[in-house]
Amino acid sequence: MLTFIARRLLFLPVVLIGVTLLIFVAMSLLSPYQLVSTYIKSPEELKNQSLDDLVRKYGLDQPVHVRYINWVKNLLKGDLGYSVSANMHVAEAIAKRFPATLELALFAIIPVVLGGIWLGTISAKHYNKPLDHFSRVFAIVGWSLPDFVFGLIVLMIFYGVFGWFPPGRLSMWADSIVLTGDFVRYTGMNTVDALLNKRLDIFWDAVRHLIAPVITLSYLWWAYLLRITRSSMLEVMNKDYVRTARAKGLTERVVMNRHVRRNALIPVATVSGSMVLGLLGGVVIVETVFDYKGIGLLTATGAQQLDYTLVLGTTLFYGLLLVLVNLVVDVLYAIIDPRVRLE
Amino acid sequence: MKAKVCSLVVLLLLLTLSVSVFAFDPETWVYVGGAGGPQTLDPAAAYDTASGEIIHYVYDNLFEYVGGDLDNIGPLLATEVPTVENGLMSEDGRTIRVPIRQGVKFHNGAELTAEDVKYSFLRGMLADPAGGPMWMFFEPLLGVQTMRDVIAMAGGPDDFVDISEVDPAILRKAYDLVDATMEVDGNDLIFHLANPYPPFINILTKGGSWASIVCKDWMIANGAWDGNPDTWPKWYDQALEEMTLYDKACGTGPFKLDTWDKSGAQVLLSRFDDYWRGPAALKNVVIKNIPEFATRLLMLRAGDADAIYVGQQDLPQVRTIPGVTVVEDLPQITNTVLFFSFTIPVEGNEDLVGSGKLDGNGIPSDFFADVNVRKAFAYAFDYEAYLNEVVLGAGQIPKGPFPQSLPYVNTEQEYFSHDLAKATEYFKQAFNGEVWEKGFKVGIVYNTGNDARKTALEILEFNIEQINPKFQVEVIGLEWATVLDKLRSSSLPVFVMGWLADFPDTHNFAVPFMHSTGTFAGYCGQGLIDLAKEQFDALIDAGIKATDPAEREKIYHELQRLYVEQAIAMPFMEATTHRVMRDWVQGFEYCPAYAANYDLYKISKVQQ
Repeated sequence: MLTFIARRLLFLPVVLIGVTLLIFVAMSLLSPYQLVSTYIKSPEELKNQSLDDLVRKYGLDQPVHVRYINWVKNLLKGDLGYSVSANMHVAEAIAKRFPATLELALFAIIPVVLGGIWLGTISAKHYNKPLDHFSRVFAIVGWSLPDFVFGLIVLMIFYGVFGWFPPGRLSMWADSIVLTGDFVRYTGMNTVDALLNKRLDIFWDAVRHLIAPVITLSYLWWAYLLRITRSSMLEVMNKDYVRTARAKGLTERVVMNRHVRRNALIPVATVSGSMVLGLLGGVVIVETVFDYKGIGLLTATGAQQLDYTLVLGTTLFYGLLLVLVNLVVDVLYAIIDPRVRLE
Repeated sequence: MKAKVCSLVVLLLLLTLSVSVFAFDPETWVYVGGAGGPQTLDPAAAYDTASGEIIHYVYDNLFEYVGGDLDNIGPLLATEVPTVENGLMSEDGRTIRVPIRQGVKFHNGAELTAEDVKYSFLRGMLADPAGGPMWMFFEPLLGVQTMRDVIAMAGGPDDFVDISEVDPAILRKAYDLVDATMEVDGNDLIFHLANPYPPFINILTKGGSWASIVCKDWMIANGAWDGNPDTWPKWYDQALEEMTLYDKACGTGPFKLDTWDKSGAQVLLSRFDDYWRGPAALKNVVIKNIPEFATRLLMLRAGDADAIYVGQQDLPQVRTIPGVTVVEDLPQITNTVLFFSFTIPVEGNEDLVGSGKLDGNGIPSDFFADVNVRKAFAYAFDYEAYLNEVVLGAGQIPKGPFPQSLPYVNTEQEYFSHDLAKATEYFKQAFNGEVWEKGFKVGIVYNTGNDARKTALEILEFNIEQINPKFQVEVIGLEWATVLDKLRSSSLPVFVMGWLADFPDTHNFAVPFMHSTGTFAGYCGQGLIDLAKEQFDALIDAGIKATDPAEREKIYHELQRLYVEQAIAMPFMEATTHRVMRDWVQGFEYCPAYAANYDLYKISKVQQ
């Protein structure tokens, strides 16, 4: 297994060079005066701007290979460049925004995966019965709803009507402590940092702000996992070894948990891997609706503004994530199913 | 049993988490804007309204508009407003003495001096970041636009890539030229202008973030230019993020900068208790940006925001909310204009000009150089419909290139109206009748995402195509990056843009709209440049040098008449604006020249 992991990690630089080269090639199709739109974001900002001066100042008229070589040189020095759309260095932007996304992903992944598997199991157990129909309809409605619409509904109910779960990552009072007080940022994740700073009030405030986006993400993604789990379980339930287990007189609970669900989990693990990737990559719409400033919104804004240093930096980061998460999923296969051997 | 316990725990947890009691805080102000926060907090570089808003609260200028009235300039960090009558301005308007107020403290406790004031402007001019606002000092003080021009005046090159290429002796000479424009005399600062420049005082007045006063010693201690005449090139045209005041501030304003939380898209300010006019009523200020309107609206309803940004199209949603005040019809110094390119490149531009010939399938390069075509377009537009149906009455129809809230504007000027008969008449005269006979096909452009501008073009399209079936107009939405690229080469036959004043003077519109070196001459092709040189440049130059208001009025009326007579472009809207706030906000005062949405020094909160 170690050889397998090492080989995959060695493959990482090739992936990263590939994706960044692709972006540079795409960028080379744009003229310097298109790229200068990063610095002049709207017609109203055209006032007395000298486009030529800006092109010259930021080196946008240099050939694409020169810009790529410069970028790689800076990268080797640990400098990912400066992002105009984020108003900070790319590395700093990722370091500040990713923990927010990671925190949301960590809080969301448990209800998303457990809820999805649980619903899938219920459906499979009560195949073609009212409970099966109900859970499928319930989840499919979530899958069919645009995330933007469902996010707004959740926000309107839980914040607009009840005033429970406000948007943002923290309340104003907590923000002012975190940003200007003696609060130490260890991880960038508000819940974890609050506990490490022994600020339970800030911890609860951070959790309050996480609930609405987590509810939204969970409901939207349950249908996906439900369908995979349900079909996978139905397939396994018809296997000979399940019939044998029942014939041995094992209780239905043991049959389902030990023999059916475990074997049905391999496709679920694959899907969960891509879900984790999706969550870590940021969920732009949910971040937008709940004013949750994560890495998804950062990347989307950067791409809209043709902020190519930011796009390159985040792509590099996503490439890294992609390889690592896929590696973890492959390793999980072997753990779930001992028949799988990683070569 | 286990399930019941679990349910109970979850319920209790939810109840604990959901405890949210809205507590009215009279000392905290929260404003939630739309997309886009500040780009920099450096007064020498900031040239967008979001940056200007923060600078407005943290710094003071020499003067202010009293009560927001553009006709009433009063002293702020100065003790008097210079005029010829009080002897602080010379008869020819070229020497201006500004007495500086004593006893004013910066946020670091240092006391304001005339040296600080000179350093503020001198540093900004020497830094002159590309695309920044410092041209407003170069033009009146030296008669040029940039520091690069000053270096050229001193005998250096004007096309250097790196300033280190320039001979240090020339750089020193350039410094001396800039330095000589300002002189400290005791507690006074004396400006020496290259030519009379009547709106110079407006440039120095609050609302002009570029004229904010910084603390010289604090600046030097924080890594800014050290005041040495030979070292300034090190700070010349730096990237925004490398400038000293990019995300730091030390002004004399009513609020101190606590933090600019870039990742959270918010700025936190706190009250400066030693403010020379007395401390503000508000203690804490949060200015944040949330692009999603529904989220902003819910925050306003919940009382978590005291004021929010609401687009014109969303106003009906907030007008009836209890506890919310909407102040409408606030004048702005702005206009929205349909521009024509007088010389359009054909090659590679076929998506907009078709065949490039007057054959019914395109337009020739000089299509809009014919005044009849321009007038026909101008008469084909339904101004009233746009005003009433699209922007829902929030504005007025212009009378030319100068917004009517500015001085020296002829509000009686005859202007275009929706008149298809006249449009037909002009189309028939265009290109000696060829346009009418053969027809044309043209792409007219807006930048995607701006629906009001799209609708304006659709109104024009509908009306022109009604006139003659051989006329084909296609409304095309282009990404902003592509619009910029095509503007640079004057490739857009027809395009819509807005213009917002830097300072409230007619000159600020005359140059970009009509001068051969102005912004739009560059985007509207050589044809307009030639016309401007021939007819407008001399008048514009005379207008800014005239010190007699009557003479200025005459000149700007003439420019306005020429603009309409020649239908250089088609201004079609002078939009008003509005503010949406909770009813507990007291002391709201509006000034069209201020970037700040609210003058927070005057704001207080009183629960209703």
